[in-house]
Amino acid sequence: MALLSVENVRVEFGGIVALADLSFTIDAGQICALIGPNGAGKTTLFNCVSRLYEPTSGRIDFDGHNLLRLPAHRIARLGISRTFQNLALFPALTVVENVLVGGYTHGRVNAKRRAEAHAILERLSLDDMANRPAVGLPYGTLKRVEIARALAARPRLLLLDEPAAGLTHSEVDELGELIRAVRDEFDLSVLLVEHHMAMVMSISEKVVVLDFGSKIAEGTPADVRDDPRVVEAYLGTTVS
Amino acid sequence: MTADRARIIRLGVAFALLIAAVYVFGWYIPQFYEQGTTYLWAEALYIGVAAMGLNLLTGYNGQVSIGHGAFFGLGMYTTAILMQSHDWSFTETLPVVAALSFGVGVLVGFPALRVKGLYLALVTLGLAVLFPQLTNRFVPHDLCKTCGTSQVGELRRVKLLPPSWTPTFIKHPDQWAYYATLTIAVIGIVALFLIVRSRFGRALIAVRDHEAAAETVGINVARVKVIAFATSALYAGVAGSCFVLVKRLATASSVSVFQLSIEFLVAVVIGGTATVVGPLVGGIIVVFSGRWISESFPSTILFWHINDSVKNLLSPAIFGIGLILLMYVLPDGIVGGGRRIVNSRLRSLRRGKTSPAST
Ligand SMILES: Nc1ncnc2c1ncn2[C@@H]1O[C@H](COP(=O)(O)OP(=O)(O)O)[C@@H](O)[C@H]1O
Ligand SMILES: [Mg+2]
Repeated sequence: MALLSVENVRVEFGGIVALADLSFTIDAGQICALIGPNGAGKTTLFNCVSRLYEPTSGRIDFDGHNLLRLPAHRIARLGISRTFQNLALFPALTVVENVLVGGYTHGRVNAKRRAEAHAILERLSLDDMANRPAVGLPYGTLKRVEIARALAARPRLLLLDEPAAGLTHSEVDELGELIRAVRDEFDLSVLLVEHHMAMVMSISEKVVVLDFGSKIAEGTPADVRDDPRVVEAYLGTTVS
Repeated sequence: MTADRARIIRLGVAFALLIAAVYVFGWYIPQFYEQGTTYLWAEALYIGVAAMGLNLLTGYNGQVSIGHGAFFGLGMYTTAILMQSHDWSFTETLPVVAALSFGVGVLVGFPALRVKGLYLALVTLGLAVLFPQLTNRFVPHDLCKTCGTSQVGELRRVKLLPPSWTPTFIKHPDQWAYYATLTIAVIGIVALFLIVRSRFGRALIAVRDHEAAAETVGINVARVKVIAFATSALYAGVAGSCFVLVKRLATASSVSVFQLSIEFLVAVVIGGTATVVGPLVGGIIVVFSGRWISESFPSTILFWHINDSVKNLLSPAIFGIGLILLMYVLPDGIVGGGRRIVNSRLRSLRRGKTSPAST
């Protein structure tokens, strides 16, 4: 059974149709990529799952729960965490405090929770900046802090919105490996929005392609890569 | 090693400052100053208490209010009416004031959820304007035989004497007013310290820094904001109760309520937003600056003789200029800026020491 199922989700902003009756599913343990040109509606879908946007119609289910019945702050408790396309850290808090807030739904902070936070930081090679304020750290580091914050909730589904954007080449390679390793170690599913095709194709098991809010292709990386509509949507961008 | 030593030095300095503060505030001010000055210090403390609450709301949670004078007035009137016409003691009124101002804070905090930033400031300004209208209309007139509009008349002297359970070094009404306010300020500051370091405190900051991200980590943003609003109202209300002991009356005009609201905000900004002791420092400066400035005036500048009315005219202007300069030099306030400077000094000191050792 699917862990997350998106059914006919439609989002309109004024006259713009950001998502046109989109449907797809993610299985437990899967890394699923959601790709498409800028403005295709990828972030809008994330915001629907996070309950920050209200779809005009459709249904989103996660592990037997109808998400559209819940307020935004109840989503984390079900086991869904996310990062944002443009960093959304809490700059005044230190790195470890950001991670502790990430585990907000697990209640009061005690020694065990602190140890867990430090273990996550260590796993993402962030332990030596645990007590630095988030503000002023390099961009690539902050991107990892945001992943650490998301992991602190011990999610079953992790939504990553363009995690590789703005990273150097070597950082991107490491990130790909990290996402796979984290999926295995933390036993979760990943929904990944990313423009970096080499990374998408090498780590995902399933790819959903969006264009103007509609799904134009779905399948394994190999299937999608050769789909003429995908190539066309990317307007000659080589998908390799 | 050096990190440890820096820590020990910092703890030592903090401890010494604490001892000095306990002596000065706990003994020297109320025992050695004349009555007027003791009352002025008590005023500084209750302005500080109201500012602490406002800092929780504005500094830590990012909601700006320029209407907290209304909650202050609510506490003031509740205490004055209970003491005057129902014969309660000051201390008995405090739990009622705390509960009432927290409750009204919740009621106001809910509609405040719908507005942000400048709009929220305007809505709270409305509170400050509305409050004196309400007291004018609803405070019973028999409470107010000797006075003009919305005042609860002067409290009987016997009410203002220290209660029998207080230690013997609290003899006079000014000392009782001072020690009562000081106790409240100490409780307020310890509570604030615990709040901002708690899970709820981190949630306050998270909501201020990024609301959508706060919501997605599972923080009920609306609830956090309402509780922050109500808690800050509680601080303002209890500060208003202290006003009654210090000024020996209750009064509210649209000017005074608005002025108080602004004073709280100025105290927060001078002391340092999102710092625990900043608002108290700010309160002291707000209350004493007028006196310090007029005392430091020379009686003549060149050929210009400066009399009291000129001083009264000039000192707010000088205070304003001082405020602008302070914001220019220390935009994060006295405590915030001071802490930043000390920290960077300590860091560079440490770096200077460790680098030769590590090579
Ligand atoms: N809050 C919003 N208000 C109005 N239009 C929006 C909003 N969010 C997204 N859109 C529009 O929806 C479309 C999809 O945007 P988005 O989901 O951000 O695309 P992607 O993440 O795939 O680049 C775009 O046309 C965008 O302008
Ligand atoms: Mg996007």
